[in-house]
Amino acid sequence: MGRLSWQVAQIAEVRPETRRVASLFLDVPGWDGHQAGQHVDLRLTAEDGYQAERSYSIASPPDGRRLELTVERLEDGEVSPYLVGEAHQGDRVELRGPIGGYFVWRPELGGPLLLVAGGSGVVPLMAMLRHRAATASRVPTRLLYSSRTLEDVIYRDELERLAAADESLTVIHTLTRAQPTGWQGSARRIDAALLKEVGWGPEQRPLAYVCGPTRLVEAVASDLVTLGHDPFRVRTERFGPTGVQ
Amino acid sequence: MDERDLRLDGNHAAGMLSEVFQFEMSSEWAGCANCGARNQLGAMEAYAHGMGAVLCCPGCGQIVLRVARGGGRWWLDLRGMAWLQLDEGAWLLE
Repeated sequence: MGRLSWQVAQIAEVRPETRRVASLFLDVPGWDGHQAGQHVDLRLTAEDGYQAERSYSIASPPDGRRLELTVERLEDGEVSPYLVGEAHQGDRVELRGPIGGYFVWRPELGGPLLLVAGGSGVVPLMAMLRHRAATASRVPTRLLYSSRTLEDVIYRDELERLAAADESLTVIHTLTRAQPTGWQGSARRIDAALLKEVGWGPEQRPLAYVCGPTRLVEAVASDLVTLGHDPFRVRTERFGPTGVQ
Repeated sequence: MDERDLRLDGNHAAGMLSEVFQFEMSSEWAGCANCGARNQLGAMEAYAHGMGAVLCCPGCGQIVLRVARGGGRWWLDLRGMAWLQLDEGAWLLE
């Protein structure tokens, strides 16, 4: 019993998701499970003993067989260029987790759910959507997801399948940098007008989870409160200055 | 990039705090000693780096908690925190 400690995990599979994003499937002996929305701290140690530590959101649902982390490669990063590009099956990394009781969703928390993601901010929200599907929850849910281009959309096929199989789930994409020919969807950064158009009204008291680069998260959270949403029902997870949406 | 881009959520400090406290701290509530606002630590604004983290009140910006690690010790500065509520149900079990 006691505080969280570091443990060794082994990479069982690396699956490319987009040009800059990959999912790592990890075997973690004695993993006790987690909640949708939680993260882990991951630590790499160089041969000279230098250590670098970063937080990564868990993508797999609580009942997942393996722990899945989906990681975006940051060119000037210390950890992600290894995880996306160099890491191979059989490699070992150190983990501490699961962490966080704030940015989590369980079916009994209800909804309606408003999930807002920028780029790889979709990862913890995907754990929520997967958990929601696995528990056959029909909590009305809308995911508003901002990506640079269609090729940068993480989990694109799976999101399409989930939405097609479930009338209570709607996925709305906005592509901020380039749009394919004939794109009917939104093509601008998430703003108050877009949130008002596709999100739930404040009178429906949605539970909102917003995740992505710090600027996007703060702009969306501020817009939601301005639109009349209860600040205590808007939960945020800022990724810092990672990526540009 | 400016300082604003580096801002994170208290949630990010939860791993570090879990080495100090036996509770899942991001869901625990604390009061700001400056403005009195009550917030979950996970909802506070955070600045973090390898050695430590600073949590600030989302209401007034006052530093509520500072935690740092170095020389085989943990350091905690809680001057900005009026009170801290710990939920028995958030006890971390291994």
